[in-house]
Amino acid sequence: MSNLTNQLISNILFWLSRKKWLVIAFFISVSLFYVETPEGLTSDAHRTLIIVITALILIVSESIPLPAIAMLILIMEVVLGVDTADGVASSFMNDAVFFIMGSLMLAVAIVHQGLDKRLALSIINVTGNKTWRIAFGFVFFSALMSSFIGEHTVAAMMLPVALALLRYSGKKPHQTSNLSSLLLFSIAYGCALGSIGTPSGGGRNAIMIGYFSEFNITKISYWDWIKYAYPMMLIEVPIASLILWLTFKPKKKILDSAVRKLKVSVAKDGKLSSNQVLSMIIFIFVFFSWIFLSPSIGLGIVALMGVFFYLSFRLIDWHDLTRRTNWGVVILFGSVISLGIQMNETGAAKWLADFILHSLSNSIDDPSNLRWFFSVIVSGIMTNLLSNAATVAILGPIVLEMGGDPIILGMSTSIASAFAYLTIVASPTCMIIYSTGLISSKDYIKAGWKLFIISITLLLLISIFYWPILS
Amino acid sequence: MNVLIAISSKHHSESTLKAGMKVANAFSASSTVLEVGEKINEFSMKEVYMARERIESWNFDRPGVDVLEWAFNYLCKEKLINDSSIERGFPKNTLVENSSRRSEVFLEKGKAKNISLIIRNGEIIEELRNEVQTGDYDVTILGGSKSGNLSFDMVQYIESSIFIVKNFQTQKKNKILLAVDSSKGSKKAIKHCVGIANAFNIEVEIITVTKDVKLRKANQNITEYASKFLRRFNIKNKIIFEEGDPVDVIPKKAGNDHILVIGSSSRGPIKTFFQSSTPIKILKKCNCPILVVK
Repeated sequence: MSNLTNQLISNILFWLSRKKWLVIAFFISVSLFYVETPEGLTSDAHRTLIIVITALILIVSESIPLPAIAMLILIMEVVLGVDTADGVASSFMNDAVFFIMGSLMLAVAIVHQGLDKRLALSIINVTGNKTWRIAFGFVFFSALMSSFIGEHTVAAMMLPVALALLRYSGKKPHQTSNLSSLLLFSIAYGCALGSIGTPSGGGRNAIMIGYFSEFNITKISYWDWIKYAYPMMLIEVPIASLILWLTFKPKKKILDSAVRKLKVSVAKDGKLSSNQVLSMIIFIFVFFSWIFLSPSIGLGIVALMGVFFYLSFRLIDWHDLTRRTNWGVVILFGSVISLGIQMNETGAAKWLADFILHSLSNSIDDPSNLRWFFSVIVSGIMTNLLSNAATVAILGPIVLEMGGDPIILGMSTSIASAFAYLTIVASPTCMIIYSTGLISSKDYIKAGWKLFIISITLLLLISIFYWPILS
Repeated sequence: MNVLIAISSKHHSESTLKAGMKVANAFSASSTVLEVGEKINEFSMKEVYMARERIESWNFDRPGVDVLEWAFNYLCKEKLINDSSIERGFPKNTLVENSSRRSEVFLEKGKAKNISLIIRNGEIIEELRNEVQTGDYDVTILGGSKSGNLSFDMVQYIESSIFIVKNFQTQKKNKILLAVDSSKGSKKAIKHCVGIANAFNIEVEIITVTKDVKLRKANQNITEYASKFLRRFNIKNKIIFEEGDPVDVIPKKAGNDHILVIGSSSRGPIKTFFQSSTPIKILKKCNCPILVVK
């Protein structure tokens, strides 16, 4: 009996030690509930902010599964009386969530076609066998492709190409070197840079476009976004390549035998299959639909059209698609976007924006210029701690209420959320390269801080000199 | 008896695997070699698995498989796997995903009973705890960690006995230092000590440390019992009485040329959680392999 009791107590203690942030979040939310509502804040807004704080603690700590966090947000919204069950349900699903769901499924369908070997051959044919050209090619092609088909898809396809080059250049599976860091970070940072280029580069872009339209600020089309963001991506590609080259200068300046072996290995696979051709045609159709049809039918519906074709042409079956799609992320973003909408509707976002501006004005005479720095730096830091889409979903409603030009602030926030260079958990791309066991967490800081600062500076220059011309 | 041997990489885990297999053989135990890889956060889990599938389509191994292959080769070298398996080589094509965080390579039965090779991904303490619960292990063997918190968590939350292989040199002739007192855990420690002494073929020093000379008599019975018990198995031993705080004296006495065997504390989990326990404190200070028997 005493053994059983001790075991039960031990289990409880273990649970508490692993779930301490859940317990802390619970006590913080209960304490905040009983704190008097600050002046200027409505009771609904007060309760919405409690949910935001709880959600942030749980997302950063990952003490419970993501879908559980999503459900907790929805439950709290209804139980705390922020909205009715039907109201929460309708804000839970919108075009941005369709887009996130559709693009995650598209990613699975595209990766499933096994186009990575073709990709390897195309890249190597262009770059040749000099290491610096290969690294530059990795950054450039990763950025180019991820701007259209999303960063995770590209990272999953590019990773074997990098590993093949490393293995064929004589590196053992766990052998770390500057060459492995150079090639892997070229993929991760290339994908991050590319994800700002178009709305389909990342779910967060669709979230921001959704907020622009939901809060009646403006309508940003796929093409408008490209005009705003693509130049920055193109400028950053050579800068990032140079930073990576200087940080991880490899001993081998030419990878001739690795390139030769890679070509031989890829050549074994023969010509493109008809399914691979069809899958490329479908994606090109989706891309043009994003440009020409999305203003009228939405980005999410276009993504779902793509999934519909992949399924209908049996390029992937439903079982494979569901098994590989991260449904937890879809549900979480649905609920975080719903929370973002509640922040706007209850006035919580406006109150928070005013509070931040007021706090800044205590230390600086004219806080108006600091709105931009606040949006970008907070977005950049948050994205490295939680996830870029969650950052935009929570920060978006606040920055759009800060005054100034909401388009510049919104675009800057969304773009800064791609500066996920500093930590392993910053984005799935960072985690994908880390999971190879070939790089350490310190490597992220080594190259990341330089690119982080340069990206912020470049974004500042673009938002001052280029964006005003567009509007 | 089931033994779980946790390894991380061939550079850091060679002594753990060697010591672990010796212990498993001594107890004629089924043994499982477990590699715990990095935790993948939930936001990225599916994407990382998708990337791994692509890596495997190029005939490259996913991370962690090379560590298991190295462990397999060690087992082959030591003839712990049957000859037909050795001839066929490492069967990486039998790697099967049991759950999202656990995969297993299926091996034929070896000479030393069952041997399993497993990869898990996640936080080390959680994964070890889950594995111990599913496999009903008696002893968990792992390498020495610099983190004191991990040692605490291991002893506090893992239900099996814990053997931490800290600074273990296979070439060096160690002795066993069996620390006993009048607690219940000491008797279990004495029984396990027999297996360890047989595994490494070494003699035993039985130590009892009291804060007060007057308490020495209380511990005399258990030391004599231990000595008699070991002699029954033809294990050479001698008794040492020391005065002082066991937390200071035992690690000092153990130095780096002993394998310390100690029973777990009889303190309840809550008291241990807030005040720690003598074995945990000793484990944190010790610079040699240590077995905490539960």
